Amino acid sequence: MNAIVHADLDAASKIQVKELNFYYGASKALKGITLALKANKATAFIGPSGCGKSTLLRVLNRMYDLYPNQRAEGEVLLDGQNILRPDLDLNLLRARVGMVFQKPTPFPMSIYDNIAFGIRLYEKLPKTELDGRVESALRRSALWDEVKDKLSSSGLGLSGGQQQRLCIARTVAISPEVILLDEPCSALDPISTAKIEELIDELTDDYTIAIVTHNMQQAARVSQFTAFMYLGELIEFGETDRVFTSPHEKRTQDYVTGRFG
Amino acid sequence: MSAAAIPQAASLSPAAASRSKATRSFAASDIFFRRLTQSAAIVVLLLLGGVIASLIEGSVPALREFGFGFLTTEIWNPVTEKYGAAAAIYGTIITSAIAMVIAVPVGLGVAIFLTELCPARLRRPIGTAIELLAGIPSIIYGIWGLFIFAPFLQQYVQPALIALFGKVPFLSAVFAGPPYGIGVLTASLILAIMVLPFITSISRDVFETVPPMLKESAYGLGCTTWEVVSNIVIPFTRVGVIGGMMLGLGRALGETMAVTFVIGNAHKISASLIAPGTTISATIANEFTEAVGDLYTSSLIALGLILFVITFVVLAFARLMLMRLERKAGR
Amino acid sequence: MSFYPARRRRNSLWMSLSTAAAALGLGWLLLILGVLVWKGLGGLSFAAFTQMTPPPGSDGGLLNAIVGSLMMTVIGVAIGAPLGMLAGTYLAEYGRYSGLAFIVRFINDILLSAPSIVIGLFIYQVVVAPMGHFSGIAGAIALAVLVIPVVLRTTEDMLNLVPNTLREAGSALGMPRSLVIQKIGYRAARTGLLTGVLLAIARVSGETAPLLFTALNNQFWSVNLNAPMSSLPAVIFQFALSPYKEWQQLAWTGALIITLAVLALSVTARMLASRGTVK
Repeated sequence: MNAIVHADLDAASKIQVKELNFYYGASKALKGITLALKANKATAFIGPSGCGKSTLLRVLNRMYDLYPNQRAEGEVLLDGQNILRPDLDLNLLRARVGMVFQKPTPFPMSIYDNIAFGIRLYEKLPKTELDGRVESALRRSALWDEVKDKLSSSGLGLSGGQQQRLCIARTVAISPEVILLDEPCSALDPISTAKIEELIDELTDDYTIAIVTHNMQQAARVSQFTAFMYLGELIEFGETDRVFTSPHEKRTQDYVTGRFG
Repeated sequence: MSAAAIPQAASLSPAAASRSKATRSFAASDIFFRRLTQSAAIVVLLLLGGVIASLIEGSVPALREFGFGFLTTEIWNPVTEKYGAAAAIYGTIITSAIAMVIAVPVGLGVAIFLTELCPARLRRPIGTAIELLAGIPSIIYGIWGLFIFAPFLQQYVQPALIALFGKVPFLSAVFAGPPYGIGVLTASLILAIMVLPFITSISRDVFETVPPMLKESAYGLGCTTWEVVSNIVIPFTRVGVIGGMMLGLGRALGETMAVTFVIGNAHKISASLIAPGTTISATIANEFTEAVGDLYTSSLIALGLILFVITFVVLAFARLMLMRLERKAGR
Repeated sequence: MSFYPARRRRNSLWMSLSTAAAALGLGWLLLILGVLVWKGLGGLSFAAFTQMTPPPGSDGGLLNAIVGSLMMTVIGVAIGAPLGMLAGTYLAEYGRYSGLAFIVRFINDILLSAPSIVIGLFIYQVVVAPMGHFSGIAGAIALAVLVIPVVLRTTEDMLNLVPNTLREAGSALGMPRSLVIQKIGYRAARTGLLTGVLLAIARVSGETAPLLFTALNNQFWSVNLNAPMSSLPAVIFQFALSPYKEWQQLAWTGALIITLAVLALSVTARMLASRGTVK
């Protein structure tokens, strides 16, 4: 159990996870997770492979709902509303909680349409306004200068790092409140990774960020809070600096010093 | 691997000598096997060449007699020995067209159901059921059509259609005439039911190639299932789906037994879909064994040649499109 | 979010249509199978399997038709399968950059989907006409021509699935290419190859059109390949279109027999395939 975890469940939390259990079929993948994501802060989730960090992330936007064998128990509150309710409108949830995946997934459309697609789902805008929104999304993702002359070309023609920034632009274009990033840099080269880490830093000003990462240095660089997970349990949670320099738990210490995982 | 690299047997130890003897026979068996398989491949090539050549050779008498008019004449009269392919060609094309118009949307719909809506437990059984149904011989559809479907249409559906469109200007001609039961419409419907599992199967296979992460990205933006299907899945698989459609069309065009029983075998082009007609394959199936006279036989073979050309074009086009798809995907 | 209710309605509409399509599509097919069983089962008696096809108006069985079908199918597969397998081997093992292989692959796809009645015409021209009469062997050859493309395709696909590391292991021992293909390639792909042959058999079992003017039909018992030979599809064709009740019943029964055979073959092929990949 997580009695030792200091998770501040107070009003400044954007998302509060309370006693979350998650099952793949009969096997329990998350055990009694309790933590909070603070608004306009970045929280990193670290831990060895299979510890449940991606699983946890995918609960936050109910992505697991697409797969019949997976279910969650407990409560996850977004601004005080439980999003695990069966009658919750999933499309609206996902408009508020966006996700960027491990591999870049540009849609088979032009760069412009990739961004406009999401906007058009929710708003009917005149062309000039739509153009402006697309440009602003691309600027926020540090991609505008590289693609402004080829907005009508296919998104698939960009490099890996550019594609991932396109996916981030696509996500911010619909103005979510929370952005979930599932190992966004694992398929990218170091230079693209650095650009995206800078981006995440800037995005934190306007959004609540949750990022799963295998790379501890990355977690240290971009997040203000860190959660260490192991075998489906939350072992430690706290401010990033403290977790890395003076962790409370031995397992945390062993992981961040590279003893295992 | 040439013999020159192998030292003389006499200068080697017994073990090495026998090994070098073995490798020499290896070289021989390699050449033999390669030639054997290559010959088999060439046989396949020759088969197609043979088919085309024999069809052309058999058609020559008829084509020489009737010339280009063979394609446009509707008359088909064994008594006066005047033959024209127009009615058969028209029947082939119209039955296939109507069949595709029905089978494609329904087939896509079933494929979408299987990939997006179907409960996981049912997915494999239903998928397997469809594959098995795609293998049912077409003669089964034929006799079912003749004994069950046609009478049903004759009694209930066709009179209703005739009455419904009786007053509408253009459509009354399309749905006119005595309800025979058998006819162009019936044949088209049966053809549609036959092609359906084929289209569903191909579409489903193609839909399943969409990477789940791509679909999740769209769901992640808040898309509804229909929006994911229409904006992501179908554009992503567009070329494969069209290729599958064309293969289905090729099937429909060449289909014999499902159509022969119910098309009515009338060498006429009617405006009405309820009237009897004929297709190329139905004509050949029904008349070939009773054809007397070289001109009659030759005309039937000429029909076969025309059918082959039509299906060849459709299939070649489908194959080329699918090849382009694979090249684009970098394979 | 002013769009949202409209989007939801559109989603519900299309999803309902899709489900309706599934119900419709599957429903029809189950209906057809149901009718087939209902009508054919009545005639599925001992007599059906032991008596010959009767003259119009009397009772009888389908023995000569069943035997004829079996004979022609077996011979057709015996000719077509080895050819198809060898050609498929060439395409898979020697044909990655060969121009010949590319053309043959293209041609094979055409042959695979070509109307079977056209194949029947071809065999009529090259076998029946020169011989001067219809014959069972002509029918068998027509079936062989239909078997070749199916077996070729599955052989090529299955051999391509064998990982190259396996082949390299054989070559590293000094095995020549031909032995690597035969002893390692065929061995590894054997389930898939067998599946291909079964599927080919299933496909030609129900073919009617190519037999209509090659083997024709034979009312009496005959195992003479040099004479017209009876077959189930041809008998069904003749009997169904006739006005005689007994003949029509035999047509349904024959149709049921063919369908059961085809389904049994397909299910066996499928079971083999899934067991084979559990390696």
